[in-house]
Amino acid sequence: MRVLRRALAQTQKELFQFRRDPLTVMLAFVLPFVAMLMYGFATKLEAKDIPVAIANYDSGKFSRDYVDCIFASGQFIPITWSGKHVLDPLDDSEAKATIVIPPEFSRRLKQKQRAEVQVLIDGTDVNNARIIKNGLLALTESYLAQEGLPQKRSLVTPRIRLWFNPGRKETLHIVPGAIALVTWIFPALLAAFAMVREKEQGTILQLYASSITAFELILGKAIAYFCIGMAVSAIVILESFIVFQVPFVGNPLAFFICTVLYVASGVVFGTWAGTRANNQMAAVQICAMVGFLGSMLLSGFIYPIRNITYPISLISNVVAARYYIEAARDAFVRGGSWTAHWYAPVMLAGITLFFLALGVAGMRKMQLSK
Amino acid sequence: MGSGFSALLVKEFLQLLRNKQLLVILVITPVVQLCAYGFALSPEVKHLRLGVIDYAASPVSRDLIAALTRNQVFDLEDSGGNETELSLKVRDGKLDAGLVIGPEFTRTLKQGKRAKVQILLDAVDANTAGITTGYMIQIFNNFTSEHAQTQVGVDFVDLDSTFLYNPGLVASWFFVPGVIGMVLNIAGILVSSSTLLREKETGTLEQLLMTPVSSAEILIAKIIPLLVVLFINIGVSLSISMGIFHLPFRGDPLALFLISLLYIFVVMSIGISLATISSNQRQAMLISFFITMPVITLSGALAPLESMPEFFRNLSLLNPLRYYIVCLKGVLLKGVGLDILWPEVLVLFVFAAVLLSLSASRFRKQMA
Repeated sequence: MRVLRRALAQTQKELFQFRRDPLTVMLAFVLPFVAMLMYGFATKLEAKDIPVAIANYDSGKFSRDYVDCIFASGQFIPITWSGKHVLDPLDDSEAKATIVIPPEFSRRLKQKQRAEVQVLIDGTDVNNARIIKNGLLALTESYLAQEGLPQKRSLVTPRIRLWFNPGRKETLHIVPGAIALVTWIFPALLAAFAMVREKEQGTILQLYASSITAFELILGKAIAYFCIGMAVSAIVILESFIVFQVPFVGNPLAFFICTVLYVASGVVFGTWAGTRANNQMAAVQICAMVGFLGSMLLSGFIYPIRNITYPISLISNVVAARYYIEAARDAFVRGGSWTAHWYAPVMLAGITLFFLALGVAGMRKMQLSK
Repeated sequence: MGSGFSALLVKEFLQLLRNKQLLVILVITPVVQLCAYGFALSPEVKHLRLGVIDYAASPVSRDLIAALTRNQVFDLEDSGGNETELSLKVRDGKLDAGLVIGPEFTRTLKQGKRAKVQILLDAVDANTAGITTGYMIQIFNNFTSEHAQTQVGVDFVDLDSTFLYNPGLVASWFFVPGVIGMVLNIAGILVSSSTLLREKETGTLEQLLMTPVSSAEILIAKIIPLLVVLFINIGVSLSISMGIFHLPFRGDPLALFLISLLYIFVVMSIGISLATISSNQRQAMLISFFITMPVITLSGALAPLESMPEFFRNLSLLNPLRYYIVCLKGVLLKGVGLDILWPEVLVLFVFAAVLLSLSASRFRKQMA
């Protein structure tokens, strides 16, 4: 009991100190809100309104209909270009693709011969290059059907059912990841700041001299920033419901438990980083590096984890965000039984305890060395 | 500019090189960031876990399954034996896709009619689901040409598509130029603000003012070493990109040098302005978060600019990093020069001129 009382006294002091610094309060609440908006809206992979240049060397009706058909779907928008060479619109990034229709296009089709169309696609945007190619192939098929021209009949027709996200809305995929990114980094940063501040201002010596133990100190600070972290989490989750219109379809209790453990893992990591770093600059470096690299790149936030090159892919097994994103996708998109990802809360708890132990050990060592 | 200035310059160089933390930011950060982005992010659609229920169980249906798994797009996994189990597995995220081939599949094909198969696709990842759908249709088309008993005909319009600049669609080539710009952005702001703030914090700025050099000379002596180390930063980034990721350098090195020089002035000016508005390094660091995060998110480094909603796309027009990344991709991947990139370069020049004069005047005002 005494342990808890002393830890809570530390928590109270920390929260009081936090309130007094407007810049940190902004960092804690305003930046996560803005970050969520940006990630949610701007991290879209699939381009809509893809600019396409047409080089039509044919003057017949067929080619005009073909061009109309390409732009009728709304996936592509035409751009006017004045350059001489068909590569020009791609070189100056005005178009993502150029479609070259040869002069004999209409004549050949009229005589029931095959006509060839050349498509030049900007491969620098790797993801959309594939999408453009597939999109144009599908539109060409529909053009052939529409004109009653012979086309290859596929004998196997797939009836594809898209589960969970039939409209293929990218927000449903990105929002859980953005929640994970934001609720980890900012509380971790603040906790690290708090630890380093004691060191930089020398007040840590007073703490050494007092009867508070390393465990109580870390616990006290962690509880303070855990409260702030949960507030951040509440803000961004509400934002997801209101701004991004994400539904809640999962098990609330399972998601709540995962959120608690996940926020705790971030805060505990921050306190550990604070015991290691000697100044705030280093603390920020550690938290930002681990936070952004881990939660953004190794967590499946944007692209699937299976695409990560081995052996770097192994690291993602100990990234907390990875497990939280799975839990969040269950909660917001899948709505399946949470038992399928029973390991998520277990791993999150494990990661939290690991960094708590590291932090306490680091703190003890510091006390001895002084 | 006499010997006072050169002495000042030497002092600035020594001070910069003595700070180990800055060297970490300048050299280690690009290595770690580039490797992380280059190896971790890939939009490729490969090794999706596929469960198959094959009620037809004939050579033809097995060929269809083989066609799906041949190119490593799909890996065959345990399907659970019946449709209910299969849907459960997709719902729980144990499978990415499920395929059900009905018992009449072989018979229908033999009669030369179209056979239907059912596919369940986990579309949580909307982007991957879209690309997968495209792949499947292509695979089925190819399968048809191989197995058709009757005449299937050919497409009368034959689409011959070529991927330019990055024919193998290597994912890292998309991310790496963005990361080079991103790293330069972070390092530039932090390093330039911290060198000024240290003088401010320790109070040595007043001592500098008492020396016979002018305030312009103080600023120039600060800027030159920063220029040198930031160019080293770019050099490190470029060597890793080309050494590890085989990023091509198709354009003119001189053009890249000039564009980078402009961009270094942009980030340095942001750093100097930051130093004038904050009273210590901690504050500058925190404020830099508010600048860096939106600048990176809206730069096209991670996700293509074209995909952003219109409001954010327009907002990104105010973002200097956006132009720098377009130039980097232009020079490195497309091999184009200033004759094509001049609009971007002009914008960067305006950014550099405005920000530099703003920050220099703020700096002088604070010194006076």
